[in-house]
Amino acid sequence: MTRWSHARIAAGLVLAAWAALFWFLWLDGRTMLYLSTRTAWLIPMGAVIATAAAIGRLASARVPDPEPLGDRETWMLGIVVLPVVILLALPPVTLGAYAAGKRSSFSGSTLGASARIVSGPIDFVDIAASQTTKEGQTALRARAGEVVTLEGFVTVEPGDGPDEFRLTRFIITCCVADATIAQVRVVGAPPGSVTTDEWVSVTGRMYPLGNDVLIAANGAPHQIPVPDNPYLTP
Amino acid sequence: MAVDLDRRATSPGTPTAGRSRSPVYVIGMLVLAALLARFADPIRIGWLRNLLVVFGSLLVEAMPFIMLGATVSAAIEVLVPSSAFAKIGQLPRALQMPAAAAAGVAFPVCECGSVPVARRLAAKGLAPSAAVTFMLAAPIVNPVVVASTFVAYRGRSDLWVMVIGRFTLGFIVAITVGWVLGRVRSGELLRARDAGTEAHEVHADEARWARFFGHLTGDVIFMTRFLIVGAAIAAAVQTFVPNSVVDRVAHLPVISLIAMMALAFLMSLCSESDAFVAASFVSFGPAAQLAFLVSGPMIDTKLSALYVGTYERGFLRVVIIAVAATTLVATMWVQVVFG
Repeated sequence: MTRWSHARIAAGLVLAAWAALFWFLWLDGRTMLYLSTRTAWLIPMGAVIATAAAIGRLASARVPDPEPLGDRETWMLGIVVLPVVILLALPPVTLGAYAAGKRSSFSGSTLGASARIVSGPIDFVDIAASQTTKEGQTALRARAGEVVTLEGFVTVEPGDGPDEFRLTRFIITCCVADATIAQVRVVGAPPGSVTTDEWVSVTGRMYPLGNDVLIAANGAPHQIPVPDNPYLTP
Repeated sequence: MAVDLDRRATSPGTPTAGRSRSPVYVIGMLVLAALLARFADPIRIGWLRNLLVVFGSLLVEAMPFIMLGATVSAAIEVLVPSSAFAKIGQLPRALQMPAAAAAGVAFPVCECGSVPVARRLAAKGLAPSAAVTFMLAAPIVNPVVVASTFVAYRGRSDLWVMVIGRFTLGFIVAITVGWVLGRVRSGELLRARDAGTEAHEVHADEARWARFFGHLTGDVIFMTRFLIVGAAIAAAVQTFVPNSVVDRVAHLPVISLIAMMALAFLMSLCSESDAFVAASFVSFGPAAQLAFLVSGPMIDTKLSALYVGTYERGFLRVVIIAVAATTLVATMWVQVVFG
């Protein structure tokens, strides 16, 4: 004679909740809000293991001598499932201007930046990478004055003029916790045309100035929606 | 379908007589959290938005590794006889520890995954000092981490100092901590789980597949609650402490090493990605960056919470002191030679 074990059912449901979170992140395209393209495979892996574990636990939940689910254990399971509830309920959200002020700058030495910058279109990672190596700075200087189009969000630093702002992106390797920042200084934007944390596309001529890269904007930046993949991966 | 409601009321392990209200309160807490997250618009507040995103990303990245580690751990429990580990346990300690560290090369997961495996190895009869050596070495010496360190420092003059230095120091520090733990027995090292939790996980007479899922579930839930605490603290630190806080000490010989170890502890990065962050601290020399890369995967905020849940009181203190002291001495030599 077997009966259902409340404790096992509760544990199985907690695992099912985690499985649901991973499936949701994967199927709703939210993986890139938390992980980089290099580690995106963790989400399906987590979904499969959590699903299998939940099914296995629920399938073994009938036992001859079931133990009760105690108060302390109930609260523990509640704590374990709390982050799932929060992450499922949160609207899509990314790091923003607040985080930019706390993070280190991206290190160009991780890329062999100069080789990438010599030819081809210049992207945000190339520009960021060039800012911390002499080879990268030299390669980027050779292309000074070229017109580039970059997308990012707006940050403003003390001392920036009324027609200036920083166009910023986060570069992540595994997850958002390891984010570093890439920034260019945009000048010539009509005053009041952007607000902090707003995502914009800027087109203008690019001029490397020492460790800084300046973009002389051609007109007002265009507002854009937050990209599906808001973080860059080197 | 018979349910054990009557048993709950009379069981000696049950904290309250009659029907408990805890499930109602817990469900109420979860509903309230969901409503606040959805409708209170917390993302308007910069620091709260940062906190939630970093907290979520740490969990979303670490949980699959916890699950993978728990799967390996459960497989070890139900498939490998204790006698196999008892034989290894009879080998001389001088051989056990390096062998355990070397075994880490074959276990390509980061630190969260190695904790449940080490716990299970110790519980099955492997010398606890060897299990801890494996746990500390695996996140550093495995090929994925070696490759990520190589990629992070590719093109820099100190490439091989960082790649070989990290591997070697990781090996040395892990073995040293194993030696410090000495001949401690598993009963003295491993923290016993709550009686109620342990009891319902598995029954000895169950089928092997049911025992496998019992151990898997138990390990995941046990580790996750500590991971949540660690991730919350790490997210708070990342939210309120700017990375630039350590820049002022970049050129001070010993202080720079301690500062980078402290930063690694607070940031709680995955060992497969931390090299990219370490490489961004260009004002610090290779020794300080090595201190960051060697100590971080062994002692950090989220790992501390996992250690507290897994091991007996005192283990965390011993590991922090042993890892920090050995890393400091080793990287001081690196600083003398390479700067």
